[in-house]
Amino acid sequence: MSINLKSVSLKLDDRQILKDVSLEINEGEIVSVIGPNGAGKSTLLNVITGDISPDSGDTIYDNKQLNKISIQERAFTRSVMSQMQTLVFNFNVKDVIEMGWLQRGNSDFSSNFLMAFEAVTKECNVQNLVHRKFNSLSGGEQRRVHFARTLLQLWRPSQSNDPRYLLLDEPTANLDLSSEMLLMNILKARASSNVGILVILHDLNLASHFADKIAIIKDGEVKAFGKPEEIMKDDFLTSIYEVPIRVNYEPLRVHYY
Amino acid sequence: MISRALSIKSSITEFISSKQLLILFLLCIFTFVSVFIAIGIGSYDLSIIDFILGKNTGLQNIVLLEIRVPRVVLSAFVGASLGTAGAALQGLFRNPLADPGLIGVSAGAALGATTIIVIGANFFPNLYLGSFLLPVAAISGACFVIFMLYVLTKGFGYQGVTYMLLVGIAVNAIAGVGIGILTYISSDAELRSLTFWTMGSFGGVTWPLLIPAMIIITISLIFLIPNARKLDLLQLGEPEAYRLGIDVQRVKLSIIFTSASAVGASVALSGMIGFVGLVVPHLVRLIGGVNHKYLLPGSALMGACLMIIADLFSRILLQPAEIPVGLITSAIGSPFFLWLIFRMKRL
Repeated sequence: MSINLKSVSLKLDDRQILKDVSLEINEGEIVSVIGPNGAGKSTLLNVITGDISPDSGDTIYDNKQLNKISIQERAFTRSVMSQMQTLVFNFNVKDVIEMGWLQRGNSDFSSNFLMAFEAVTKECNVQNLVHRKFNSLSGGEQRRVHFARTLLQLWRPSQSNDPRYLLLDEPTANLDLSSEMLLMNILKARASSNVGILVILHDLNLASHFADKIAIIKDGEVKAFGKPEEIMKDDFLTSIYEVPIRVNYEPLRVHYY
Repeated sequence: MISRALSIKSSITEFISSKQLLILFLLCIFTFVSVFIAIGIGSYDLSIIDFILGKNTGLQNIVLLEIRVPRVVLSAFVGASLGTAGAALQGLFRNPLADPGLIGVSAGAALGATTIIVIGANFFPNLYLGSFLLPVAAISGACFVIFMLYVLTKGFGYQGVTYMLLVGIAVNAIAGVGIGILTYISSDAELRSLTFWTMGSFGGVTWPLLIPAMIIITISLIFLIPNARKLDLLQLGEPEAYRLGIDVQRVKLSIIFTSASAVGASVALSGMIGFVGLVVPHLVRLIGGVNHKYLLPGSALMGACLMIIADLFSRILLQPAEIPVGLITSAIGSPFFLWLIFRMKRL
């Protein structure tokens, strides 16, 4: 089971945002998308989520065209953590996390929901925030709450083996070191329980360490897609970012200052 | 694979706290109490207990059943529809200052009604449907605006809410021009009824006028209130709501259409009553929280309750004369509005 992007191209306002992009996210795999600002990373994510339909090319979830999947069913298969959201009305943190809970036909709300809610808030270390007002939280705390909501959306009873995908747009922005590690380790754990993950990152070392595969995007094109140790090369990265970059192997470290 | 039967709907007790359920219950009681008080008090004192015991005279029964009760029922329905529509629109536009008037529906209804008051009298002087013409025109005006909104926003995907708000402003301006011209060319007598009508009043309503409006408002609210959970998810932004499985375009249309018809029916029978749709949802949020599962029914009850009381004051303050109820709601609502703006600056 996988998400497949097949030669996706997209033009917005006469600007070619994505050029012939092909990508594969397998179950149980962390794919990290990296690249300079304005490379088309967020647009790529929006195409994968179905927010934007590309001009040409296919988005395929588990052998099924994305546009043949109902909006509700999409929500059931993939959950998305986007960059910052603000709330006009001052919801409780608990309400915000609950928004990720999708009703399923035969799910028992009170028992399953409470179990899932508790597991997720504990995992994301937000259990002591749940009774606060969302707008009184710091930026980093708000990110963690949204992350918990994103996880709750994909929560399944243990006997389920539905394909699931997590798509995250710079989830570590605004996070302190420990929250960043917490989040990346949760992603790692999710991947090992068979969730397919796509994560846009800016920290090359974070990507190299946690990702199974890295896609490097520049000017709307995938310049390289493969295992970190195979594609993280001095000259190549230097040409992508236009700053001198040196890569050490074993362990893989990227140096740029 | 587990069940694929998905729904965004939820049962009555989900996503609402027990404190909020208690508040709703209390609001219910307040509404019933205010209905009984409002029926009893007026320039002609009546007692419901006497009515039930059969001690009333024929005249008292007529005043009670044909004048007092329809009036109180109308104010309750108008309050409920304006309050709920305000809450829904504020949620939809994610704008705490949104009001049913905002998308131009009140203005459309007002234009329809003024047209009939000023021009209609010349063309159909002896039309026996005269008393029906006003509400029919107001509802048509509201429907016309809904239709315009629908056509104008069709091609705008799910990012078009701001656009719709701007359309509302334009529609308000256009209707304002229309009403202005009609006011200018109206005769003295027409002007009098126009002025009274634009300030809003519950007087003079009869059952044949009231029942269709009650049906329209009830149906609108029945369709509106189950959208509560979707409105909550919309607070994360339209793209995010879509990612959580909401057909944003459809929800938007359904909320706009239901709140617009509720408002249209209200404006038709009671004129333009300002600030209720703005103030009521904020009061409800202040006492209990912002989730729509609580907010929508809460606004309906609070709106009904406050409107009954406002109408009671409009009847008894200058007894036996009447103050237009719109004047009272505006007098209470406008300082509240300023306070809201002041408070928003700090948020």
